Amino acid sequence: MNRRQRLVAVLSALSAAAALAASLAGSAGASRFSVSMSRAQTTTHLGDRFTFRSTVVNHGRTAARGLIAHLNVVGLEPSVYVDPEDWSSHRTSYLKALPPGRSATITWRLQAVSAGTFDVYVAVLPHSAIARPPTTGPAVRVAVADRRTLNSGGILPLALGVPALLGLFALAVRLRRSR
Amino acid sequence: MTTVEQTADRAAESKAAPGWTVVVEQELRDLWLGGRGLLLSVAFSLLLSIIAYLVATNTALNFLEHRESVNLVLQVAIAVGGLLTLLAAADAVSGERERGTLESVLLSPVTRSQIAAGKVLAALSLWVASFAITVPYAWFLGRGVGIVGDALVTGVVVGTLLAVFLASLGLIVSLFAGSNRVSLSLSLFVLLALFAPTQLPSNAQQGWAGELLLRVNPLTAGEHYVGKILVSGHAWSQDLSWLASPLAAAALLATAAPILGARFMRLRGGVAT
Repeated sequence: MNRRQRLVAVLSALSAAAALAASLAGSAGASRFSVSMSRAQTTTHLGDRFTFRSTVVNHGRTAARGLIAHLNVVGLEPSVYVDPEDWSSHRTSYLKALPPGRSATITWRLQAVSAGTFDVYVAVLPHSAIARPPTTGPAVRVAVADRRTLNSGGILPLALGVPALLGLFALAVRLRRSR
Repeated sequence: MTTVEQTADRAAESKAAPGWTVVVEQELRDLWLGGRGLLLSVAFSLLLSIIAYLVATNTALNFLEHRESVNLVLQVAIAVGGLLTLLAAADAVSGERERGTLESVLLSPVTRSQIAAGKVLAALSLWVASFAITVPYAWFLGRGVGIVGDALVTGVVVGTLLAVFLASLGLIVSLFAGSNRVSLSLSLFVLLALFAPTQLPSNAQQGWAGELLLRVNPLTAGEHYVGKILVSGHAWSQDLSWLASPLAAAALLATAAPILGARFMRLRGGVAT
């Protein structure tokens, strides 16, 4: 191997190493982002709508592509059933490529459908990552004050009264016609 | 309508009034003073009472489910009110044929298209009564979640469009049916077929084919619109395109019913006559 061939071999090795390093940096860069929330807690009433924003920042050296942000709602009281789909019909956001040092802000719109205390958080995970834990932001504590929306005690007079009134009216019409 | 004399007398009494108003008046008397309309209304109110009681006593309902319950009551009201209207219209011509009173009607000094229009309007009174019965239930269930106004306005708009469509459809079927039994069963079958897509799994309702099916069918499109406003809280204008097929179906069949009535209202039923 002459000097020229050795130089070519060294350059090839360096090039391969650089490509490998770039590849590793790219895949590792996907996890180098953070999630923050616009508020730590909020108070609302049953049925009211509220919003908050989450910001995803790419701290890596390469662009983060294929990031998916997902909103979740957790009830802190075991007696309260929570279906996050009821709280928001748009809980997944597919982010555009995030260049190094840049951030993306997502606005989440929710409706408080149950009374109680809940934690709402956003998890971000890259599309390409396999078996990697998602990056989650701090949870927003949501306190929902109860409000009486249904007076179940009043249904019986209505449920019996309307058919009874109509029945009496029908009877009166029939009696009048038969005379 | 019972006798030609009654109809002729009334037509003579009100020379200024068009013939269809005389037909409507007579049909309304038969339907409501005859007791059939009131009996159906009592049955309808019993159905709504059972549903409202089951919903209201379910304390596990969350806010959204509460809105869904108002939507359920309204959709049942629209569906059953439409069914009653359809059945009344499906009996309008074929029933008169079988009871032997159609000849008297045809001899009255009222055009056949006016008879058809009058019978459709009289059948629509069942929807008006059904909606009036629904109001207290919608108010009771919807006041806590602030959707009483939305429920009543969407109910009256969508329900009336569908009732006009179904009443006209029933009358057209009744014109051509060979017997009253055929008219009623065919109308009921068509109504069930129109409701069938609501039972499809949600996956089958996705995609362009599923959405097209829901949009083209006036019943599913109307129900979809009501649900979007009451459950999803959408604005009135947001899903307005879903009202296209109920509006088109109501306009088309309401125009067709008097035209077909004028040509095909005959003493003998059946397509071949």
